[in-house]
Amino acid sequence: MGLFDKLAGWLGLKKKEVNVLCLGLDNSGKTTIINQLKPSNAQTQDIVPTIGFSIEKFKTSSLSFTVFDMSGQGRYRNLWEHYYKEGQAIIFVIDSSDKLRMVVAKEELDTLLNHPDIKHRRMPILFFANKMDLREALSSVKVSQLLCLENIKDKPWHICASDAVKGEGLQEGVDWLQDQIRTMRT
Amino acid sequence: MIKKFDKKDEESGSGSNPFQHLEKSAVLQEARIFNETPINPRRCLHILTKIIYLLNQGEHFGTTEATEAFFAMTRLFQSNDQTLRRMCYLTIKEMANISEDVIIVTSSLTKDMTGKEDVYRGPAIRALCRITDTTMLQAIERYMKQAIVDKVPSVSSSALVSSLHMVKMSYDVVKRWVNEAQEAASSDNIMVQYHALGLLYHLRKNDRLAVSKMLNKFTKSGLKSPFAYCMLIRIASRLLEETEGGHDSPLFDFIESCLRNKHEMVVYEAASAIVHMPNCTARELAPAVSVLQLFCSSPKAALRYAAVRTLNKVAMKHPSAVTACNLDLENLITDSNRSIATLAITTLLKTGSESSVDRLMKQISSFVSEISDEFKVVVVQAISALCQKYPRKHSVMMNFLSNMLRDDGGFEYKRAIVDCIISIIEENPDSKETGLAHLCEFIEDCEHTVLATKILHLLGKEGPRTPCPSKYIRFIFNRVVLESEAVRAAAVSALAKFGAQNDDLLPSVLVLMQRCMMDSDDEVRDRATFYMNVLQQKQKALNAAYIFNGLTVSVPGLEKSLHQYTLEPSEKPFDMKTVPLATTPITEQKTEIAPVATSKLPEKLTPSRQDIYQEQLAAIPEFQGLGPLFKSSEPVQLTEAETEYVVRCIKHTFAGHMVFQFDCTNTLNDQLLQKVLVQMEPSEAYEVVQYIPAANLPYSQPGSCYSLVRLPEDDPTAVSCTFSCTMKYLVRDCDPNTGEPDDDGYDDEYVLEDLEVTVADHIQKVLKPNFGAAWDEVGDDFEKEETFALSSVRTLDEAVGNIISFLGMQPCERSDKVPENKNSHVLFLAGVFRGGHDLLVRSRLALADGVTMQVTVRSQEETAVDVILASVG
Repeated sequence: MGLFDKLAGWLGLKKKEVNVLCLGLDNSGKTTIINQLKPSNAQTQDIVPTIGFSIEKFKTSSLSFTVFDMSGQGRYRNLWEHYYKEGQAIIFVIDSSDKLRMVVAKEELDTLLNHPDIKHRRMPILFFANKMDLREALSSVKVSQLLCLENIKDKPWHICASDAVKGEGLQEGVDWLQDQIRTMRT
Repeated sequence: MIKKFDKKDEESGSGSNPFQHLEKSAVLQEARIFNETPINPRRCLHILTKIIYLLNQGEHFGTTEATEAFFAMTRLFQSNDQTLRRMCYLTIKEMANISEDVIIVTSSLTKDMTGKEDVYRGPAIRALCRITDTTMLQAIERYMKQAIVDKVPSVSSSALVSSLHMVKMSYDVVKRWVNEAQEAASSDNIMVQYHALGLLYHLRKNDRLAVSKMLNKFTKSGLKSPFAYCMLIRIASRLLEETEGGHDSPLFDFIESCLRNKHEMVVYEAASAIVHMPNCTARELAPAVSVLQLFCSSPKAALRYAAVRTLNKVAMKHPSAVTACNLDLENLITDSNRSIATLAITTLLKTGSESSVDRLMKQISSFVSEISDEFKVVVVQAISALCQKYPRKHSVMMNFLSNMLRDDGGFEYKRAIVDCIISIIEENPDSKETGLAHLCEFIEDCEHTVLATKILHLLGKEGPRTPCPSKYIRFIFNRVVLESEAVRAAAVSALAKFGAQNDDLLPSVLVLMQRCMMDSDDEVRDRATFYMNVLQQKQKALNAAYIFNGLTVSVPGLEKSLHQYTLEPSEKPFDMKTVPLATTPITEQKTEIAPVATSKLPEKLTPSRQDIYQEQLAAIPEFQGLGPLFKSSEPVQLTEAETEYVVRCIKHTFAGHMVFQFDCTNTLNDQLLQKVLVQMEPSEAYEVVQYIPAANLPYSQPGSCYSLVRLPEDDPTAVSCTFSCTMKYLVRDCDPNTGEPDDDGYDDEYVLEDLEVTVADHIQKVLKPNFGAAWDEVGDDFEKEETFALSSVRTLDEAVGNIISFLGMQPCERSDKVPENKNSHVLFLAGVFRGGHDLLVRSRLALADGVTMQVTVRSQEETAVDVILASVG
């Protein structure tokens, strides 16, 4: 792999840039996940509720990600759609301990999938069933049932349980996303 | 090379402006490239510039298109290009109010303001504060506090200035940052210190005690920043003014000590503050003026300008204080900067002696064409003041003014000159003919309608009385031929006055009028037809009533009466006497020496004080049968200023009655007064008909009660009367804090000072522009004449003043001004007696040991004449 990277650098084929939207309800852990994925020297210590959106960048072995970390608060959700065109992939974060609002998450997801800018595009969606460390957390299987993920037929998707505070489960998801994006391009 | 080219572009003006022909829709179309990845910073930068340019040109952006462009722009936060990012901040600030959902960038900006990149932090704070509202402010409060005390000066300054802007919006939140601001105020950076002081002051400015504490602290500890010092001086002088502190106050000492500061800026600010203080004496002025004098010889043009401008202001109030600087000012006359030179000369004109006037005028006329209009107005004002001071110099001034009038210039400038010439003509009869000639020449080529009509009116008033009136006719008739409608109409009115006054000109005027009756404009034709018919009657009385003196009713009153008349159809013709009279505007009585009014725009026609009273009284059912209000007096105080109850009275005169309006204020916070009325005991045959009490009079809320008095019918000459007044009321004690009154109260009374009704209350002032014509019009049917000796009066001036204030009539023909070194004078007074009869008084005064006065009174009715003579005697 290392040799290939160097070779790509020499040939002027820098790392491919990908724009990703990070969506989900408020307090689901979007900003925390993105913060964990950044290189350790760029991470911030305190995470506050996002207002509007913020743009973050991180790199994986073969891709350079630009993430639009959107605010999940109710009154800002209608602003997501301004950035749908932008995204080549979606990260959707769910608070798996919040059973009450699972329906709200499902509703937002359905609206998202039915949006004209998203509907007919074959873009990968990565689901994080976050906060798996909490005792009352649901399993990723249960979450995917509640959100009826099996109904998504025309887009590749993947769900993995994660604990963003410790960083567990994140790498698995990002690796999947990276593979998907690469296969889409070739 | 490129730079050089740019410079050239700038100089050649808008012709080569690359943004000149921008189309909004095209630019918004281009803005789509913001959505492309990867971002091309150079192109995006160019488009953002175009958008900002359009916004600043005043181009209107619809909400939808603005929002779309804004959201497209937010994507540019992906790029790390410094210039592009800072351009984004600018765009956010420009679009903050026209796009929706601008809070979308809050987190992005918060990230930048707390980030590592110092170049981003300051601008990010400023942009963030523009898009934040009160509810969102709490979310960023923590970051703002940190930013205020940040060690990078630009960040701290940005945060302080942004806080200052947000004080207007959410005072309570920003108030919590006072400790941080205090810390910033001790910063080493001069700008940060200045901004911190500004914020601290604005947070405390409503609390005088806190401001004075703050001043105290900083004046003791001293500051590093000269800007902050200037600010302190301003705060201190404002506080001094508000508290009316004397010159022994420590604040004044502080300001004076700043005169010895090492920064010129601070020294100037202190001097300027001292100079602008009200009631400043020569002793306090001296150090400030001497500092300004030093600045006069400074090599820096800005300092010289500031100094001479301030000295110019001082010279208005304290010419003697500036005399010491005369030598330095003389040197500035030849200054290469024309603004400095102008101010120096006008200052010298104010302070100098009569002998230097000629020389200064010559000097200034050498470069008057090179200075801007604004300064020309300053020159004209100085000349106007000078003319009042040295009337003998009017020929020099008049020459100079007419030369200036010929030069190019804006409306303000021309108006200043015309006003100045008119005031010279009025002050100084010798200059009348030359002045009128200059003005005639001016209207031959005058593009300002207002000035042309004004001059035509003046010509109509003054022209017929000059030795050779026929020469003005040509100038006036030229207007009828050449000018716009408004000027033509004014010219017709002026012509009519010539025809009415000069019999030998009458035939020619009639011919000209005939010509005007074929004018294309309605107003001009109407006027011409009207004057034509009046003139053909050849009756002095008609001329006087309809050509010289016009209507004296109040316009809103006339409008209301006519409206009323059309609503109630009746057989009777409309009676002009029922219309309330116009109260003579204060501006007519220009007795004090006022320099040409700087730039007062023509005032809008507001209802006069009397019209307001008329309205108020008409709303009270008891007063409905009294007819129109004839006159309302100035308020008379019936108590001392600092008593428990403050009462003042306004006397309203009607045809057969008087209404006394008592405005009462209760200054006791533990009392509620009820059923307040003022009982009146007349000394003469006046009869109190009715009292209308004020129901409630709570603490510090003024209320009015009224008394209706019938005037004696059998003896119409008994006009003056004294009333002893007592205020009667029911007191209910109440809790000072809640205002809750006790259940029961007790009756009480309060003795007021006596109220006098004098002859002046029965006469309304009316200005007759042409007294002689009015005198003839009234005729000598009821003329009476008597001679009195005023032994207690020593000068003519004093006698004139006494007569005017006693009779309450309007002096006409400027006869209230007694020429110097004369021992006889004729005073013309005009007015309308209660009931609507014109009343004219001619009083010849002669100065011997005392003053001898021969009074001739004419009116259309005998009573009025008797009243005057009885009251004078």
